[in-house]
Amino acid sequence: MKKFINKPENLTNELLEGLALAYNDKIKLDDGKLVVRAFPKSQDKVAVISMGGSGHEPAISGFVGEGLLDASVVGDIFAAPNAMSVLAALRKFKRDAGILLVVLNHAGDVMSANMALKLAEREGIKVKKILVAEDISAGIDAPKSERRGLAGCIPLMKVAGAVAETGASLEEVFSVAEKFNGRMATLAVAMSGCTHPQTGLPITELPADEMEIGMGQHGEGGGGRSKILSADDTAKIMFESLSKAVDLKFGDSAFLMLNGSGATTPMELAIVYRAAVKLAENIGAKIEFGIVDEILTVQEMAGFQMVLCVLDDDSRKYLKARSNAPYWTCLG
Amino acid sequence: MPKDKLELPDIKSMFAAASKAIAAREKELCAIDGVCGDGDHGTAIKGAMCAANVSAKSAQSIKDAFMSAGMAAMSDSNGSTSTLFGSLFMGISDGVPEGASDLDSNRLYTAFSAGLAAVRENTEADVGDKTLMDALIPAVKAMESCKSAAESLAKAAEAANIGARNTVELQARFGRARNLGERSKGVPDAGAMSVATIFSAFAGVVS
Repeated sequence: MKKFINKPENLTNELLEGLALAYNDKIKLDDGKLVVRAFPKSQDKVAVISMGGSGHEPAISGFVGEGLLDASVVGDIFAAPNAMSVLAALRKFKRDAGILLVVLNHAGDVMSANMALKLAEREGIKVKKILVAEDISAGIDAPKSERRGLAGCIPLMKVAGAVAETGASLEEVFSVAEKFNGRMATLAVAMSGCTHPQTGLPITELPADEMEIGMGQHGEGGGGRSKILSADDTAKIMFESLSKAVDLKFGDSAFLMLNGSGATTPMELAIVYRAAVKLAENIGAKIEFGIVDEILTVQEMAGFQMVLCVLDDDSRKYLKARSNAPYWTCLG
Repeated sequence: MPKDKLELPDIKSMFAAASKAIAAREKELCAIDGVCGDGDHGTAIKGAMCAANVSAKSAQSIKDAFMSAGMAAMSDSNGSTSTLFGSLFMGISDGVPEGASDLDSNRLYTAFSAGLAAVRENTEADVGDKTLMDALIPAVKAMESCKSAAESLAKAAEAANIGARNTVELQARFGRARNLGERSKGVPDAGAMSVATIFSAFAGVVS
């Protein structure tokens, strides 16, 4: 393993410390592993909180900030934060307006969230969970419980955060976010596995000349292995599955995010993005705008996640609304 | 000498032994988990059992020992391991009668059944799904109508080990490994291995 690290058990604390120092005008580290805004929003607005393991930087903590998340509850490397730390965050953000808890569908995250929600309910904390499960590698028709939450969580948090910033009620924030949730899908492809930075052990090794479509964000295999294809051919396979999943039709507008997994260059992501835009044009749809960047990484894994979201007036407005998080700033 | 009943010092010794046994297998459990999952189960369960042991040490009663072990496991580790093993010990505590100073085989069975019920609240997995339940469910079942506490834990350990070994041939239906389908066969489930290790350590203390 070739990584610039110190003691493996200090990885999460040290990375959060660094992130908070670098962006100290936007975020700060609250006790333990809770990242919050440097300047909290007023108590009368819905708080939007998310949770997840570390090792995927900049997600999720890099998306705390004005117009986006209020807090990110951080677990250890690739591991969900425990129920007690989620509960501690819910207690801290308890308010009459309520809390929206964004949970990615992974067994550990869902268990911690459900346990924390059960305990929070007993304390009269007003909180609603929104489950992100937009990965289509288990099949377009797979039930939500069998789909994982991938990088599509980030645009969803942007939409939810922007609605919350307007002073909308918890029900309104949830309803706009849930509508967006239903019109987006993600598919991942990997060319190499990665090493777990704590244990140094490899996660899912791929032969040198193969790639795998459907790889999860911890390197879990998804099944669709093939010889390595060109950018255009890979884009075609992935975009066609995604456009079917979100029912992208003639005349539709969409937002496209190409999220690099860690070792795939922005050059490659841009080449794939351009291919996807052309594929959309072929069916008379339009990719209005998007992101080509490392958003939710998987250590040094080579590959990317393609996130396709069908736009309506609401989601277009909220994706472009003002935000000032370390890794997503918009002038609004 | 095999024990009929367990008292507070026995429970504390059980956690100390389980913590030591798990720590000794950390790397092996990570490697097993790395085949289908993300390779960190050994680290997570070591953290959970170490915290459980430290917390149980200062307990004043059997009920308190399991409760504080469960709370510590849930607070000091991460991932599904924290919730599943934390709720197992907290559930066992719920099943121990208030003020009980010892656990005979009947009380042990009742307590561990309550622990299993608490885990079931957090996962729908059953025997055959290649999870920790493949070891935990038969282990608790084996404790039914035993004559002594030592026999209960010995039978539980035996059943947990058989259950864990059986997971080698199974295809994962829960957690991250599920996405591998057929390729998840051939290695045991790391969570089931941990349950077997913990029950073996528990049994070793009182045999």
